[in-house]
Amino acid sequence: MSSQSASGSGKVAKSSSSKLSTAKTEIEFRVALIVLVMVALIPAIVSNPYWLGVLIVSMYFAILAGAWNLLAGYTGQFSLAPATFAMIGAYSTGLLGTYFGVPPLLGILAAILVAGLIGLVLGRIVLRLKGPYLALTTLSFAEILRLIAANSINITRGDLGLGVPGLFNSRIGWYYVFLGVLAVLLIALYALLRSKAGLFLQAIRDDEVAAARSGVDVVFWKTAAFALSAAASGFAGALYAHFAELVTPELGLIGQTGLIVSMTVIGGIGTLVGPIVGAFLVYVLSEWLRDVGGYQLVVFALLVIIFARFFRDGLWGIARFFMRRARST
Amino acid sequence: MSLLSVRGIVKRYGGLTAVDSVTFEVAPGELVGLIGPNGSGKTTLLNILSGHADPNAGEILLDGKSCHGLKPEQLAHRGVMRMFQLTRVFRRMNVVDNLLVAGRAQGLGAAAAAAQANALIEELRLGVVRDLDAGQLSGGQMKLLEFGVCFMVPPRIALLDEPFAAVHPTMKEIMGAFIRSRHESGQTFILVSHDMPVVVELCHRAICMNAGGVIADAPTRDVLSNTRVIEAYLGGHAA
Repeated sequence: MSSQSASGSGKVAKSSSSKLSTAKTEIEFRVALIVLVMVALIPAIVSNPYWLGVLIVSMYFAILAGAWNLLAGYTGQFSLAPATFAMIGAYSTGLLGTYFGVPPLLGILAAILVAGLIGLVLGRIVLRLKGPYLALTTLSFAEILRLIAANSINITRGDLGLGVPGLFNSRIGWYYVFLGVLAVLLIALYALLRSKAGLFLQAIRDDEVAAARSGVDVVFWKTAAFALSAAASGFAGALYAHFAELVTPELGLIGQTGLIVSMTVIGGIGTLVGPIVGAFLVYVLSEWLRDVGGYQLVVFALLVIIFARFFRDGLWGIARFFMRRARST
Repeated sequence: MSLLSVRGIVKRYGGLTAVDSVTFEVAPGELVGLIGPNGSGKTTLLNILSGHADPNAGEILLDGKSCHGLKPEQLAHRGVMRMFQLTRVFRRMNVVDNLLVAGRAQGLGAAAAAAQANALIEELRLGVVRDLDAGQLSGGQMKLLEFGVCFMVPPRIALLDEPFAAVHPTMKEIMGAFIRSRHESGQTFILVSHDMPVVVELCHRAICMNAGGVIADAPTRDVLSNTRVIEAYLGGHAA
């Protein structure tokens, strides 16, 4: 072995991916961390409870967008059920608390488990589906579960909503809880991408047949991606339930999934930083556009079309383009 | 003992019998050319050998053990590596990562996989494009990359489907030299190709298929002068 390749291998040994993609992931991770540090500093200048609430919900969506990005952006599985898993998580802790007196922290753990298990089962069911068939099947699954939640009035209280105890009363406290969970998710995703699992998931995204030929266990990794994404969404949903102190079937509305998809696509699908930036941008913007009512979704749908057509790497891709241009000049 | 035993393999698609009672053996270290006109069943047979299609009848043994029901990834772990006729690479991953996927999936550690990827990139002269996404490569470079993927972990048998089709002569030479050197060190191949001069040069033995069945299995020069083979290629009663 040449000394050149030997030294090269030594550097790569810390990560499963090549030096180039490791560097790309590293940059995205650092920028995402900077964004989170900036978010951490916001309460020093913004004390308005309303806007703190808006930012907390933005972080809730950032977790959901990050979880969906693992599935759609890195594994190529375009599921339309991310909001449903948040709803599953929310109802899991809510129902366990209401009917069995399970304390919130245990309820949240159970929510992660329940959402992850249902994600695993869904992942196995849709294993051989691709593209529009996968999207339509997961959409049907989402609507069926939402309608079950809405119509099981004796159990869930339907659209009236299920009361859930709060964990604490401090808005700042909740702000940092959501930020902490978002940071943990980011670090976990970063570690996953640097491991061989990240390599396999991206291989499956690009070509399942070629991945299997290379020796990747496609069934295992696709199912794992579904389960992990669902578990993270369930975690976000359970936290949100205790933050809002109410669970309704609205959490699983297709409009919520639309928001998650918009956030990821606009920020940059298949990147670490994109879904986080996209979530803050889209949700804060949607609050500003609240006065125009239902038209805000039209605006986001148009933005998704424009980004999907002209800027496939989203805002992060645009930022990278300008960074490269600045470096070359 | 044979490395690969193919016994009575049949594959039907509705009323069409794509592979019809195909039987042959491949010894360790052999380089066998699999030839035949378009639609003769060569690729379908490779699909069955690599686990991408299930046969309707027959059995395949690798090292004397049945491959029945094994999926492509399981066969890859047993040392069956396949190069597709229509190139399949991970288009949004760079050249190095494309190679690393195979190495890591087949059990190499990160450092060993990186070293092997570097060695292959050097041997296949892909150094200039090593950091480019596979989707940015030329058709020939993609073929070279997919070819390299098959050798990240030396396979028990490499199934190469038309590796030289639509490839620049320089790249063809690189692949040819690679196959020769690996063959000399004992690597087993089944090589599907329409490029007869290359088949004659590389393969001592050839199997010719037509209409799903094997019509000749002998030393390559004998196969190419076989009347049934000439008829199959030229149609009708050319001889």
